[in-house]
Amino acid sequence: MPAHPNHRADRTEGTGAANTPSARSIYVARSLPAAIDALDEYGSAGAPFAGGTWIMRSPIRHEPHQPHYVAIGKIPELTAIRIDAGIVEVGAAVTHAALASALADLPEFNVLAIAAGRSANPAIRAMATIGGNLSTSGFAAADCVPALLCLEAEVEISSRGDQARIGLERFLQIRPTLEPGRLLTRVILPRRVRNTAHARLPLRKAGDYPAAIVSLAVSLDAAARVQAARIAVGSVEPVARRWQRLEAALVGRPLDPAQAAEVAIGLADEFTGRDSVELPAWYRVSVLPSLVRRAAVAALDT
Amino acid sequence: MVVNLTVNGDRRSSAADPITPLVDILREEFHLTGAKPVCREGFCGACMVLVDGAPTLSCLMPAALAEDCEIRTVEGLAVGGTLTPIQAALEDCDAVQCGMCFPGMVVTLTHLLTVEPGATRDDIRAALTGNICRCTGYERIVEAALLAVAVK
Repeated sequence: MPAHPNHRADRTEGTGAANTPSARSIYVARSLPAAIDALDEYGSAGAPFAGGTWIMRSPIRHEPHQPHYVAIGKIPELTAIRIDAGIVEVGAAVTHAALASALADLPEFNVLAIAAGRSANPAIRAMATIGGNLSTSGFAAADCVPALLCLEAEVEISSRGDQARIGLERFLQIRPTLEPGRLLTRVILPRRVRNTAHARLPLRKAGDYPAAIVSLAVSLDAAARVQAARIAVGSVEPVARRWQRLEAALVGRPLDPAQAAEVAIGLADEFTGRDSVELPAWYRVSVLPSLVRRAAVAALDT
Repeated sequence: MVVNLTVNGDRRSSAADPITPLVDILREEFHLTGAKPVCREGFCGACMVLVDGAPTLSCLMPAALAEDCEIRTVEGLAVGGTLTPIQAALEDCDAVQCGMCFPGMVVTLTHLLTVEPGATRDDIRAALTGNICRCTGYERIVEAALLAVAVK
């Protein structure tokens, strides 16, 4: 059993400090090295705790809590957003509300500002974090994941003595098998001139998980033809992914919303929808062309 | 373990599992029953309290992470028996409901009118999107919030 971080002299600032080693604990890390050390020592008995909007609902999903959590919400570099000329870096513990606010004046990131700023409801957006959205394998309807896929995001994974940067698509593949002690610490976004849009279909305007999500980023040439396109679909399947055949079909033509939707109808059969208590699989797939049209309209407007 | 909390200006302690939702401590140990654990998913807003001035879903916040914070529940909004402007406006507009969802709405609107004293109808409706009421309408509540804005 790993040493309990709360018993170490250098980590007494955490809450839950009176725990015995056998009790459940939440250790509030004040620095990134302290968080990584704690996660490393806890191993499979520990997990990071950011906004808590997924972890605190574990009982509803009949999932046990971890014995130990490492709270990362008070680590300065993980709650910061850095906007440079070439890139935007987002700390893993940045909330949806903070992210939406920070990106509000950057049209090229409209897709992410909408994804972060319209998910769930205001109080959830003030708690839920970008790192949590990306790291939670079981959350198919995470709005920020398709938005980040179409923005060519990379993520930084830190562990004791190591730091790696990988593409988001790769991260989504390895996410379920990520070894204990690893922490997603940053999201890195390249800055490019492009039109972007996020189309989501919840059952109500606010509060519901979206049935389906289409995130779109297109670069247009001087004649308004699509030079490059990245389109990602979320909530339809268990894990968000790009729609590469549709991307290829749009390149070289003007971005016409009706035409894009027509093309999407012909390509939607590549998706196998997921069933859930609120919606059948077929419905999630069937709304995709409409969302493509809406996304294209919105992208032309940015 | 002991979790030390500052609730409505009072220092309180709880011997709780650190992952225990704040709403449970408030209700079961401190007998502050205004916040309601209705959905426990963060979607209904009935458990809303202010943590360091920010509206917070107390069903999703572990009590241990509220240490060092100032927690204010609906019971702590009116000081010395004097209603706050939004509470008075809600009463004036007959915008009072059964008490299940309503405390959360009062907390949400209290925060909104603090950070946006000139809140518009759209601002009010947007702020209330996280407070779900299943039994009646929202119109009088919105009208009351607009009245509170006007009175200020």
